[in-house]
Amino acid sequence: MSARNRGTELDLSWISKMQVNQPAVLRRAQQIQARRTVKKEWQAAWLLKAVTFIDLTTLSGDDTSSNIQRLCYKAKYPIREDLLKTLNMHDKGLTTAAVCVYPARVCDAVRALKAAGCTIPVASVATGFPAGQTHLKTRLEEIRLAVEDGATEIDVVINRTLVLTGQWEALYDEIRQFRKACGEAHLKTILATGELGSLTNVYKASMIAMMAGSDFIKTSTGKETVNATFPVAIVMLRAIRDFFWKTGNKVGFKPAGGIRSAKDSLAWLSLVKEELGDEWLTPDLFRIGASTLLSDIERQVCNNPLSWDKLTSVFLRKKRKIPYWAMRTREKTSSDLPHCTQTSAFIQANPHLKWADWTRERECA
Amino acid sequence: MAATRTKPSAREIFTTLEYGPVPESHACALAWLDTQDRHLGHYVNGKWLKPEHRNSVPCQDPITGERLAICLQAQAEDVVAAVEAAGTAFENWSGLPGASRAQHLLRLAKMIQKHQRLLWTLESLVTGRAVREVRDGDVPLAQQLLQYHAVQAYTQEEVLAGWEPMGVIGLILSPTFSFLEMMWRICPALAVGCTVVVLVPPASPTPLLLAQLAGELGSFPGILNVISGPASLGPVLASQPGVQKVTFCGAIEGGLRLLIQESVWDETMRRLQERMARLRGGRGLDGAVDMGARGAAAHDLAQRYVREARSQGAQVFQAGAVPSDSPFFPPTLVSDLPPASPCTQAEVPWPVVVASPFRTAKEALAVANGTPRGASASVWSERLGQALELGYGLRVGTVWINAHGLRNAEVPTGGCKESGSSWSGGPDGLYEYLRPSGTPARLSYFSENLNYGTFGLAVPSTLPAGPEIGPSPATPYGLLIGGHFQAPGARSSRPIQDAQGNLHGYVAEGGAKDIRGAVEAAHQAAPGWVGQSPGARATLLWALATALERREAALTSRLERHGTELKDAKVEVELSARQLRAWGARAQAQGHVLQVAGLKGPVLRLREPLGVLAIVCPDEWPLLAFVSLLAAALAHGNTVVLVPSGACPIPALELCQDMAALLPAGLVNVVTGDRDHLTRCLALHQDVQALWYFGSAQGSQFVEWASAGNLKPVWVNRGCPWAWDQEAKGAGRELGLRAARTKALWLPMGD
Repeated sequence: MSARNRGTELDLSWISKMQVNQPAVLRRAQQIQARRTVKKEWQAAWLLKAVTFIDLTTLSGDDTSSNIQRLCYKAKYPIREDLLKTLNMHDKGLTTAAVCVYPARVCDAVRALKAAGCTIPVASVATGFPAGQTHLKTRLEEIRLAVEDGATEIDVVINRTLVLTGQWEALYDEIRQFRKACGEAHLKTILATGELGSLTNVYKASMIAMMAGSDFIKTSTGKETVNATFPVAIVMLRAIRDFFWKTGNKVGFKPAGGIRSAKDSLAWLSLVKEELGDEWLTPDLFRIGASTLLSDIERQVCNNPLSWDKLTSVFLRKKRKIPYWAMRTREKTSSDLPHCTQTSAFIQANPHLKWADWTRERECA
Repeated sequence: MAATRTKPSAREIFTTLEYGPVPESHACALAWLDTQDRHLGHYVNGKWLKPEHRNSVPCQDPITGERLAICLQAQAEDVVAAVEAAGTAFENWSGLPGASRAQHLLRLAKMIQKHQRLLWTLESLVTGRAVREVRDGDVPLAQQLLQYHAVQAYTQEEVLAGWEPMGVIGLILSPTFSFLEMMWRICPALAVGCTVVVLVPPASPTPLLLAQLAGELGSFPGILNVISGPASLGPVLASQPGVQKVTFCGAIEGGLRLLIQESVWDETMRRLQERMARLRGGRGLDGAVDMGARGAAAHDLAQRYVREARSQGAQVFQAGAVPSDSPFFPPTLVSDLPPASPCTQAEVPWPVVVASPFRTAKEALAVANGTPRGASASVWSERLGQALELGYGLRVGTVWINAHGLRNAEVPTGGCKESGSSWSGGPDGLYEYLRPSGTPARLSYFSENLNYGTFGLAVPSTLPAGPEIGPSPATPYGLLIGGHFQAPGARSSRPIQDAQGNLHGYVAEGGAKDIRGAVEAAHQAAPGWVGQSPGARATLLWALATALERREAALTSRLERHGTELKDAKVEVELSARQLRAWGARAQAQGHVLQVAGLKGPVLRLREPLGVLAIVCPDEWPLLAFVSLLAAALAHGNTVVLVPSGACPIPALELCQDMAALLPAGLVNVVTGDRDHLTRCLALHQDVQALWYFGSAQGSQFVEWASAGNLKPVWVNRGCPWAWDQEAKGAGRELGLRAARTKALWLPMGD
């Protein structure tokens, strides 16, 4: 990983005069989505690149060690081998950037990844996720415990109360303490932008979080009503750029929540490329927090004309909307037959199953 | 550029993460050209017109140079045919109820919607503009324009009662234009019942396609006729007796000038360069390109400018992923131009931006208003108070606060100074193609024999004009300039005769020097008068009305002496007072707020004074016309230089005594003398912002000719006397429309 952000002394003059022009930000957000598209080879390559930025996430009340295990397996083998081969990408060691789980599941994830023999970092949410409305003491303790369990990245939520009431010093101090509690683990600060009230507040909170030493700033928990949106992202990216210009420290950016389609992920890549440049397009500085995005990316890579010609799979030709990884877990132990044949055979044998049933099937397994 | 290299593999792209080509298929544009056998003519009266024995020019792809089609060049008889077709169509079209016209415009909007892909690929292919600009901006706006004007047509009988369509409109497009500029002008014209003949520059197929789409609706084929031909056909079109009005539409947006406050100069320049570096240029038909190319000519123009700027010591920043070969030109930021270098004066070509610093907002305003152009400007500031002050102060047609380039069919778009004085969009756009009902159509008053060089040049010398009878009418003698009466520079007088041919009195013989003094005085009074609230203006006009009523007896007798019946003279004086009061009241209700679809926040439609307005008053209704024109001008915040009636200036001069006492100095300046001579002085004066002329046909012709040189908005009566006592005229809306110009102030909001 690149040099960590050590943070700076609190300098309120960096935020006091700041005012975000919301209509202009909205306009830019609208334009950027329409102006930058990629097709064919470019699309395939960009999608695969997007995979390497994903923090593969599961944050549900019903997470158990078995689905964490599946998640970790998926993080290690995010895209089918045969697809990678058609694109000549099979030897790149493509994995997602990290897996992201609740603190109580960190142990499971660390164990599963170790068993799979890979070094993908485990990220844990902490500090009273998602609301952050617990005592500071317990929030700090939560971080320490997660780090002890082996999490190397901590996604903390900030105290929105402090932002909305303008207590910037207090916010700075809190995040500073989070950072200290993290020790060597990287600190990703979730701003929960959907609850900050205005874009100007988003900018200010971003700046404070970076001054306090966050390695990443992250849009949202995925649990608010409004999650990662383009206007918010533009404001955060501009804050990151301003911070870089002022201090020379590069801080990462992580949109999370509501990013489900492959097309969305491409738009996020081009947004970062446009606003910060290629140097930010590495897993050290850019992550996408997502749980279901990967399956759509895989499907789109399949549908890409490049893979299209080379694949023989029946169900892919029919563009059935079944994410491949749902089947993968079922098949991996059974035989050495090519996956596609087996999966399509399964589907043909169970034509009544819809996608929802499929998931349930998987959860039961 | 990526397309010229061998295609990289996905594996390579995975590392470089570069953008690839996103070609937009233009097969449909080529197929459409094929339907014409790649041989485009003109579209007249719902049919393709492809006359024999005409010159032709190739229509080329500006980037590859590939020949797409050949276009016939029109000759005078083709123009005549088009004007005839439009004239015939006008009879049916203008007679339709507004609702039917609305229906037709909506059908055209639907037609465009159906063929939008053809439209945007053809436009992008031929002009080289980025396809997303056309697809996401121009095409939806074209439909919106049609829909908006359909609504206007529907309500025409009710809202625009008392106005009638002008007739056949000639529209001349400049060599670099977008089809949208054409839509801005033809939509209001068609909506109010006019028909249009468009002269497009050679090799521009998009207007032809639009005309074909309109023509294929069937019912009214001749309402939109497009002929393509060289610029030299412009005068031919303009001089057609059937053409009632000619509109000229300039080039699409060129380069920009940027004024940045010194305190934020470094920061702004850094951000600007950062942003410019991310712009992508390339073939317009690539969907992921920010800027296309506008052909080799535009490239050379930009290159020449940048080279000059560099040699004059400017800093030049060029960046962006743009192919290095012609006709592509990278976005360029020029700064540190020495103040006196020629490049600071020259027009900035596309895609160049010239940045210069300023110290205070006041200074920025002075610099911005010092340029000869006045179409649009944007103000970026987080201090709303300051931004609004600048927005109000800028002398341009459109101001965006913290935004740029927003357009909407409901918002009038226009300009001032060299950017022209006509309006399109909104209610203002409709009036451009209307005239008050009952006014005669444009007559062929144009005289070939008028010698512009000598018109009004010499003043015939005045000699004593015979016996002076009765009491000496010496009192109102002199020129009202700067608030007091002055002797004329020429120190000579002109006799005024009454109805019986007897000497009524002498008035001062004003000349060029007096006009200069009057204009200067008016300029000095302007800031104070503009700053007055409408209420204060109304109070002064009402005070003047009272003063006029006090003079009723004297004014009536003066008018009577000039042959007006006693009864009529009384009516004239009474009406004059009423006009002053009416305009005073109207001064308080101007401008309004527009709510625009797709924009959060209001758009203010402001009515701003023209500045120093020169008015040459007619001979008929010597007092009433003088007062009506004066009242309208003052109510809208203008300062005026008036030339009263030539035959009967005395009542106006009577009133001047009150004006000298009541009004701020320099607000109203009255110069008597030889009308032709004074008209010449005013028309050729560079610092008079607008001129209204009511007089002879010859004088009108001269005024229009002179205005072409200094682009002064003029309003002439072409020798037709007006019925000033009728509401439709003297107090009519036309006077109000002419007395101020519109400004659209966009205020997007949000936090």
